[in-house]
Amino acid sequence: MPNSKRLILAHFWLAFAGFGVALVLGAWQMFVRSPLHPWISDPEWYYRSLTAHGTVMAYAFPTLVAMGFGYAITEAALNQPLVGRRWAWAGWWILAVGAVTALVPVALGNASVLYTFYPPQIGSPFYYIGVVLVVVGSWFWVALMSVNLALWKRAHPSAPVPLAMFGMLGGAYLWAWTSVGAALELLLQIIPVALGLKSTIDAGLARVFFSWTLHAIVYFWLIPTYVAYYAIVPRAIGGRLYSDTMGRIAFVLFLVVAMPIGIHHTFEDPQVGAAFKFIHSAFTALVVVPTLITVFTICASVEIVGRLRGGRGPFGWIAALPWDNPIMLAIAFSFVMLGFGGAGGIINMSYQLNMPIHNTQWITGHFHLIFGGAIVIMYFAIAYDLWPHLTGRPLLDLGLMRLQLWLWFVGMIVTTFPWHWVGILGMPRRMAYFDFTDAALAPEAVSVTISVIGGLVLLASGLLFIAVLLRGHLAPVREVESYRFAEAVHPPVAVPAALNGYAVWIALMILLTLTNYGFPIAQLAARSDTSVPPVYVGAQR
Amino acid sequence: MSAPDPVHAAGEERAARVERRWAGLAVCLMVLLTGMAAYAGIHRATMPQARVETVDPQRLHIGGEFVESNLGSALEDDGSVTVRAIGQQYSFTPTCIIVPTATPITIRATSADVVHGILIQNTNINTMLAPGYVSVISARFDKPGDYLMPCQEFCSFGHEGMWGKVRVVAKEEFVANAARQRRQSCAQ
Amino acid sequence: MSVRDELSFRNSWFAVSVGLTLVIFVLTALVGLVLLPYAQPDLKFANLWDAICSAAGVPRASPEAAAVAPAFKLSDVVLTSTTFAHPSQESIGRGATLAQQCAICHGPTGVSRADSPNLAGQYAGVVYKELMDFKTGARSNAVMTPFAANLNDRDMRDLAAYYAYLPRLPAYHPEREVPLPKIVINGAPVRGIAPCGSCHGSLANKPGSPWLEGQPAAYMEEQLKAFASGARHNDISQQMRNIARAMTAEEITQAATYFASRPPDENVDPFR
Repeated sequence: MPNSKRLILAHFWLAFAGFGVALVLGAWQMFVRSPLHPWISDPEWYYRSLTAHGTVMAYAFPTLVAMGFGYAITEAALNQPLVGRRWAWAGWWILAVGAVTALVPVALGNASVLYTFYPPQIGSPFYYIGVVLVVVGSWFWVALMSVNLALWKRAHPSAPVPLAMFGMLGGAYLWAWTSVGAALELLLQIIPVALGLKSTIDAGLARVFFSWTLHAIVYFWLIPTYVAYYAIVPRAIGGRLYSDTMGRIAFVLFLVVAMPIGIHHTFEDPQVGAAFKFIHSAFTALVVVPTLITVFTICASVEIVGRLRGGRGPFGWIAALPWDNPIMLAIAFSFVMLGFGGAGGIINMSYQLNMPIHNTQWITGHFHLIFGGAIVIMYFAIAYDLWPHLTGRPLLDLGLMRLQLWLWFVGMIVTTFPWHWVGILGMPRRMAYFDFTDAALAPEAVSVTISVIGGLVLLASGLLFIAVLLRGHLAPVREVESYRFAEAVHPPVAVPAALNGYAVWIALMILLTLTNYGFPIAQLAARSDTSVPPVYVGAQR
Repeated sequence: MSAPDPVHAAGEERAARVERRWAGLAVCLMVLLTGMAAYAGIHRATMPQARVETVDPQRLHIGGEFVESNLGSALEDDGSVTVRAIGQQYSFTPTCIIVPTATPITIRATSADVVHGILIQNTNINTMLAPGYVSVISARFDKPGDYLMPCQEFCSFGHEGMWGKVRVVAKEEFVANAARQRRQSCAQ
Repeated sequence: MSVRDELSFRNSWFAVSVGLTLVIFVLTALVGLVLLPYAQPDLKFANLWDAICSAAGVPRASPEAAAVAPAFKLSDVVLTSTTFAHPSQESIGRGATLAQQCAICHGPTGVSRADSPNLAGQYAGVVYKELMDFKTGARSNAVMTPFAANLNDRDMRDLAAYYAYLPRLPAYHPEREVPLPKIVINGAPVRGIAPCGSCHGSLANKPGSPWLEGQPAAYMEEQLKAFASGARHNDISQQMRNIARAMTAEEITQAATYFASRPPDENVDPFR
């Protein structure tokens, strides 16, 4: 990490800069579609903002955080300077160029198709090409993580791979494979039509390809958070990790089962067979297991700290925890939001419970709570934890960091809980305005207004986060001790090959993709009678 | 997994046992939830549509099942009702769907252009409309009433104006009207 | 352990996890393909293979049912955004010749002096569709129907290309500026009315939807009323009848007056 600070900081700053802009857009969106604002006179502005917000928050921001964190882990956990740093910079540049290539047409109003693309709506080809470049840039990172670990393993045969590196690498492999779905949709279907090379597109097949990416991408976003749970939090709050083995098992389970479950995003789609909807639903149930395992292991690890600090009785250890430590706040908030968001996810994965809330504001509330809440709050914690080691200066203001985390937690609850409620009432997604004067919709007005307030709190928290990081660059230089990861109570000495590498699990991931996605994709791709004309969206009128 | 040490070995063994039990519990929990979902689906008749059907969205208005004169609610010989509708930028046809109480209803719908969605508020009727495919969904209403039916998927810049209605009327009234009108709707 | 050893069945981790995964897949597939279809009493399958294929998602033919035929002629024009993309110069030239007979009402420059619609710069697809609908009887008008009867498909495409090629000029009787009516700018969501511009060009163009700026107010009002009453029914799948029926008489007048007062938009590509 002393060697690649600039590289890692470049990733984090690009991520957080995009995050800040997208956060402002998000707050604006919530405001204009609420009862507090008259109906926007040009709804296209709303959809343009929605496209930019989603594209940055889904494709650029978490990818860059994972990449930066991954490089930091590679150097700190493996204790070796990053091999291939020029390739890493190349990847960063390709991603940055891709992001600009995508967002310029969005800003001009030529690609207001939303980050989910859903053809046959087709925007400017540069938007899609930009997204492809962002993904390609991240594949450089996947390759580098793999190469760096392979070199380390050759130098340390049969040594246990440090858990942080093991987890992060799993996330990288997962991302590489899951991004193939959207890449196929973009390269084989959308971009040819956007360029005018093809004149029809199978909208159903495109949705199936996208669903391949759509679920596992959230596990790609989640892995850095889980790596922080296992490898940072126990050390940061003064304790040990309850179990190294269970951490490895959780990460390998994510790699295998996060991928072949995407059809639960197409439960209500007419082009997918009912059997595959059930199969994916069952496998989605399995992906809850590594999270349940993690909750147990991390709660046990935190309990160790509480008892080390003198906590007694079944709950006394909670009060004894180091609540003045921002990382302690972050993990507690993250787990509360994970609990609610995870429960919502279990509802979404059940076909029958999903039906009433599909594509309503419940969905928006769910993924903001789980991703924007449980996952991103740990991104903040990761940044706070790494920052002194990247800047060479300590982060001094713990009070400001605690305030920022409190605001994010409270803001996220206040934003997302009303969304869940109005979703149950049937409020649809992605509308630029609503007629709250209508008797059927008037009950939703209060909830929507409350969530706007939450959005403003989130905006304040996000800006405060960036301010804290900026101030971290300006603090006086001080000797910062070398970076350490959490240690397990029983540090691993000999780890089975299957929990020290990913060959078995990658094979399974690919196998399951074939069994769970092979037929649905093949039988739609083989048909020529399901392609429909494109509907071009953009400034061409 | 660690160097043999009598003091810690017992603790390690205990810790491992506890977490294995928890992992087993987690798996059982998820199997139970999945089974419940399958059971509830079968016995409450909310299952995914049984077949994938295709249709040409460019020719819906020219002939076939989704020509405009065939849209609306039809009383079948066996007493059930089939509702046919299309979603297009930016309205549903028929804009107001009329259905009877206490009758098995099958909604058959498709899109004429981009991906739309049908969501009937205060019910669990919710499906996507993808161009090229027919969506089929079962429903049953117990009481008369009016429902709003927004499009729930972004279909471009008029999406916020795409709201239909569903009116549930007493079965006798619907059956009486069916004698005069083979395809009913409440769009004035 | 080398990768090859790891991926062999002698590695118990590999063997157990592959075995377990396949067992779970086979079990869930059996439930999904066989058990669940047969557990639903209201589903009818011809045989087991039919049940499996249906559950797997192999497209099946829609059930045969007699469709209620329309009582009047419907438009049978199919338009996409690329139908009229690249007209040839010959086509435009032929259209210019044909358009001489149109100038009486629609003006020599495609801008009408009476209440017939201005055609200059109109989307080619719109001109073509209306002409075709006049010819087939999907739309009828005492003046236009005889004209259209004499045109064949190529003539209509040529006329469409010619009029699209003409520059948009302000309407012959430009109205003064009127305030923005809510029905035009925002529509009326709960009544199912989207903003006019989402199809008619100021936000986006839906193929077949004319741009309206500068058209005669009387013409637009008459057409909206005709859609509302059903007298005009060549809008594909009732998309304009749905809108017009839900508008009040005052809103119709407001919309017509507003669009008549607007200058034509220069940024439109009429060959979309």
